[in-house]
Amino acid sequence: MSVLQQLITPLSSAEAPPPRNKVTVVGVGQVGMACAVSILLRDLCDELALVDVMEDRLKGEMMDLQHGSLFLKTSKIVADKDYVVTANSRLVVVTAGVRQQEGESRLNLVQRNVNVFKSIIPQIIKYSPECTMIVVSNPVDVLTYVTWKLSGLPKHRIIGSGTNLDSARFRQMMAERLGIHSSSFNGWVLGEHGDTSVPVWSGANVAGVNLQKLNPDIGSDGDKEQWKATHKAVVDSAYEVIKLKGYTNWAIGLSVADLTESIVKNMNRVHPVSTMVKDMYGIGEEVFLSLPCVLNGGGVSSVINMTLTDGEVSQLKKSADTLWGIQKDLKDL
Amino acid sequence: MSCKEKLISHVMKEEPIGCTNKVTVVGVGMVGMASAISILLKDLCDELAMVDVMEDKLKGEVMDLQHGALFLKTHKIVGDKDYSVTANSKVVVVTAGARQQEGESRLNLVQRNVNIFKFIIPNIVKYSPNCILMVVSNPVDILTYVAWKLSGFPRHRVIGSGTNLDSARFRHIMGEKLHLHPSSCHGWIVGEHGDSSVPVWSGVNVAGVCLQTLNPQMGAEGDSENWKEVHKLVVDGAYEVIKLKGYTSWAIGMSVADLVESIMKNLHKVHPVSTLVQGMHGVKDEVFLSVPCVLGNSGMTDVIHMTLKAEEEKQLVKSAETLWGVQKELVL
Repeated sequence: MSVLQQLITPLSSAEAPPPRNKVTVVGVGQVGMACAVSILLRDLCDELALVDVMEDRLKGEMMDLQHGSLFLKTSKIVADKDYVVTANSRLVVVTAGVRQQEGESRLNLVQRNVNVFKSIIPQIIKYSPECTMIVVSNPVDVLTYVTWKLSGLPKHRIIGSGTNLDSARFRQMMAERLGIHSSSFNGWVLGEHGDTSVPVWSGANVAGVNLQKLNPDIGSDGDKEQWKATHKAVVDSAYEVIKLKGYTNWAIGLSVADLTESIVKNMNRVHPVSTMVKDMYGIGEEVFLSLPCVLNGGGVSSVINMTLTDGEVSQLKKSADTLWGIQKDLKDL
Repeated sequence: MSCKEKLISHVMKEEPIGCTNKVTVVGVGMVGMASAISILLKDLCDELAMVDVMEDKLKGEVMDLQHGALFLKTHKIVGDKDYSVTANSKVVVVTAGARQQEGESRLNLVQRNVNIFKFIIPNIVKYSPNCILMVVSNPVDILTYVAWKLSGFPRHRVIGSGTNLDSARFRHIMGEKLHLHPSSCHGWIVGEHGDSSVPVWSGVNVAGVCLQTLNPQMGAEGDSENWKEVHKLVVDGAYEVIKLKGYTSWAIGMSVADLVESIMKNLHKVHPVSTLVQGMHGVKDEVFLSVPCVLGNSGMTDVIHMTLKAEEEKQLVKSAETLWGVQKELVL
């Protein structure tokens, strides 16, 4: 008898049950691995699958995570270039695609990443038709639209990581100016994840105290305290980190784990994520932009109706027009 | 009045206490950053400092971590090439140094890394004279000795990450073989972190059941279940990951956070880490090897005395001699 047979008497001959909270991460680049490690260290899934086309790197990353299994509470970590390994995922995080080069705007990446998605999305749906998807690859708002079109999933099950990260950066920078923790500063950045994101100054508050009431010029060019510069720093921050270290990964990884937690634990928390906004705020096209969404086990269950100023609404409309301008020219969707 | 003045009234007259549980990570390469993110995600410190000589990369990494502040519970994350930023650390994790190339053994890295340590260690000591030094850079056993010599610290405050990772890899593979979680599979790998590490087969157990009692051939050549292969996979594990992805990071990062946790929370948990073993198990030279140690907020306070077979002790002595052979040639 082997050691296993001498040591252990099985009581149930039933097959091990399928995972209930399986998460797949597509793409094992720096962003994908930061998402994977953040999700693992927060104990959010009972199985993690990794997919990529670069087979050696994929296997190496999988082994490196598995070697840490003693320190984790995720008992199964698998990886393959074949999507069969992703079957029965509750959540699929898509980070695959080419990354922004230094100085390149997110919108320039578009057609390159659309072609990559055409090989990814149908495979994901084939093996996890019930999943919810979080799209991270840039330009995220356009690629969330692309994912929605290619997958055929209902719109509430496709989420773009959107301005969850921009809002986190905004809250960190604003809070630092005030000497408090980011979670105690409430501020929302909506719309496009990128150069034309919209900081909703009218909502910025600490302990319910509205900052715009204390400083009516907040966010405008004439503001003596130049709070607008903080939003500019948010927009520039990704470019700055890319210039310094070549890419960003930790903050986006933590941000994705935050969204994952709300979905996997069915929390009904509100996050600024990219969702289909046609017929809201006078937007006529099928575009995805970030609005405060209630996330739970089913995906986006509802959208909070923000009271936006006319200026903020017209910024959203402008983003929508820019995005639609790109989307309508995309081939083979 | 500014927005801040209208919003917030500062009412405390005294100086703020500042951070009381600070960790520094030296080196922002893949291992340093994996250690940093693991430590942050486990909420182990209220301040994290990072140091490196590559200023742009350091600044970029610190910014990227700071941007995640909303999702973390570490109030202050700083970085600078100047060690003043590391002042008053409780634990300093040293990951700096050259890394193994594909196929290169850890011992080959020695003199390159000794020279780097001659700059790093005195700077750490200057700003955190009471800290606990944790050495990760390879070859870790030799570099822990070097850090001990250069720092002048008592031996209980200089720890090498040692075979904490090898043991974790062993328990992972054992877990796969037995379909159990690694935390339920107990096995200790001691001695050198590297090619001549020693698996203590007599201690391998599940729920107190000694596996070698069930399979007396365990670990030997004639074993039909080939358990010896498990140890070989551990030794080869790092080389394989390096060949596939260029380096290892996640497992060592999590292993470091595991050790930092025991220290910061004063857990008195037993870990296989590299410490001065002169006088134990027949080792005569002043070398560091991994044995089961009790870790708490004072550092490495006690050593568990293992009952090793004669053959296992011989292996430890042999490792010690190899390490001493390299150490005595070092210019410190």
